[in-house]
Amino acid sequence: MRDDDQRHDAIPDAGVDRPAPKMIEAFEHAAGSIARHVTGGATGFKGALLHIHVAPAASYEMEELQEAHCVAGRGIVGDRYYDGTGTYSPKPDTREVTLIEQEALDALSRNDPPLQGGAIALAAGDHRRNLTVRGVPLNHLVGRRFRVGEVILRGGRLNFPCKYLEELLGLPVYLPLYNRSGLNAGIERGGVIRPGDAIELLDDA
Amino acid sequence: MTARIVMKLKVKAARLATPSVLHLTLVHPTRPALPAWEPGAHVDLRLPDGKIRQYSLCGDPQDLSAYEIAVKREDAGRGASLWAHQALVEGATAHVSAPRNNFPIREATRHVFVLGGIGVTPGLSMVRKLRAEGAHVAVHFCARSAAEAPLLAELSAACGDRLATWFSSEGRRFDPAAVGPYAAGSVLYVCGPGRLLQAVRDAAGALGWPDESVHAEAFQATLDENFKPEPFEAKLASTGATLHVPADRSLLDVLREHGVTMPSSCELGVCGSCVCGYTEGVVIHRDAAISTADRQDRIAPCVSRARVSVTLDL
Repeated sequence: MRDDDQRHDAIPDAGVDRPAPKMIEAFEHAAGSIARHVTGGATGFKGALLHIHVAPAASYEMEELQEAHCVAGRGIVGDRYYDGTGTYSPKPDTREVTLIEQEALDALSRNDPPLQGGAIALAAGDHRRNLTVRGVPLNHLVGRRFRVGEVILRGGRLNFPCKYLEELLGLPVYLPLYNRSGLNAGIERGGVIRPGDAIELLDDA
Repeated sequence: MTARIVMKLKVKAARLATPSVLHLTLVHPTRPALPAWEPGAHVDLRLPDGKIRQYSLCGDPQDLSAYEIAVKREDAGRGASLWAHQALVEGATAHVSAPRNNFPIREATRHVFVLGGIGVTPGLSMVRKLRAEGAHVAVHFCARSAAEAPLLAELSAACGDRLATWFSSEGRRFDPAAVGPYAAGSVLYVCGPGRLLQAVRDAAGALGWPDESVHAEAFQATLDENFKPEPFEAKLASTGATLHVPADRSLLDVLREHGVTMPSSCELGVCGSCVCGYTEGVVIHRDAAISTADRQDRIAPCVSRARVSVTLDL
């Protein structure tokens, strides 16, 4: 495992105008710290990054980026959790980056399982997670290190759908997203990511 | 009570409806359809300094390709309307929330409207819908002159022969008794400056209108022009108690009523005496005491409110 002093940021001056919000390091999170020492999970996958979204502040619509700067220990430049202006920013947690599986969104769009009145087709970014990925078993990655392009992430805890999202969207997404709402991750090594980047488990996990 | 998404909308058209009222048509840069709304609804406009102003939607709720709002320039206001008039030109970006309706059409057999100046904005969409449904409508529109009556042409088209105009410069100052005596099943909607609301309430009371048949929405430059307080829940972290804060009461009042001892002084959001911490929730900061950096976890309960709910570090 890397120590904080081995982290490096792609953009040294990023975020100079705002103090870095408090974050719980992924492997110090109540969930990640336990999962780190439990073996198991999928290992041989090779997935891909499909979309990157950030929201400039709490409640703002997500905006798609064609490349994003990830800063170790902090988040994605331009995102509300990087700036500490997110709805949940006052409550420290692991929120540097959030990920969701395209496969979960596909299931919602075919109403599978049929937990709500009908299919829910979320527009890109409306799930309000930062990274939409394909072929990555996110529920297996709590307590694991994995790379997205040149950036190394650490799975801190499972993401949890919130009523706030349901209210913002006016769509009943709470129950259908339960247990497949994705992953909250920390950034061990920063850098630039782009859609199409490969996602793989790292060998020491 | 729900949280609302904030969108960066594009100003598709900006025109002066009167010399002091800017009429804006706003479209989404990528989505073909904006969130749906009902007549009487408003949106929040976010200003560059983080402040929020609320404007009634005055377009057609059937047409979700655009929102329309009208902003009256308040030269003596705190600057929001001056900023809007200067900055929101064609092609500019406006940060606008999804709509919410605090002033809905009520169940009634007869709908009487008294609209004063910029107070025409919610009334216009309400009258349009009621007339389309064949409801019985009577509308009184008050302004200094026809040239200073915002959206007069649109209101005339919506009302047909159901519109009475009251232009004081022409010697026709509005007589609140014109709302007529109460008849069972009637509702009275009043939108405009505070003194018009009060005059109409007084007259309606004298004419037998029960309080619950009169619905008012104030349009007035106050401490925070266009701000419409909404109810929310306040949770106390220490006890877990949840307190309901109604739209017409301050968080500070409700806390005291429930036995929470709070210091305070100005109760105008200036002195900072009552400031306390919060741990969760989206706070609508309306004070002038807390720095931007501290707004992440500090709130002034005398004037500030929350969207949906807030957990206080008390």
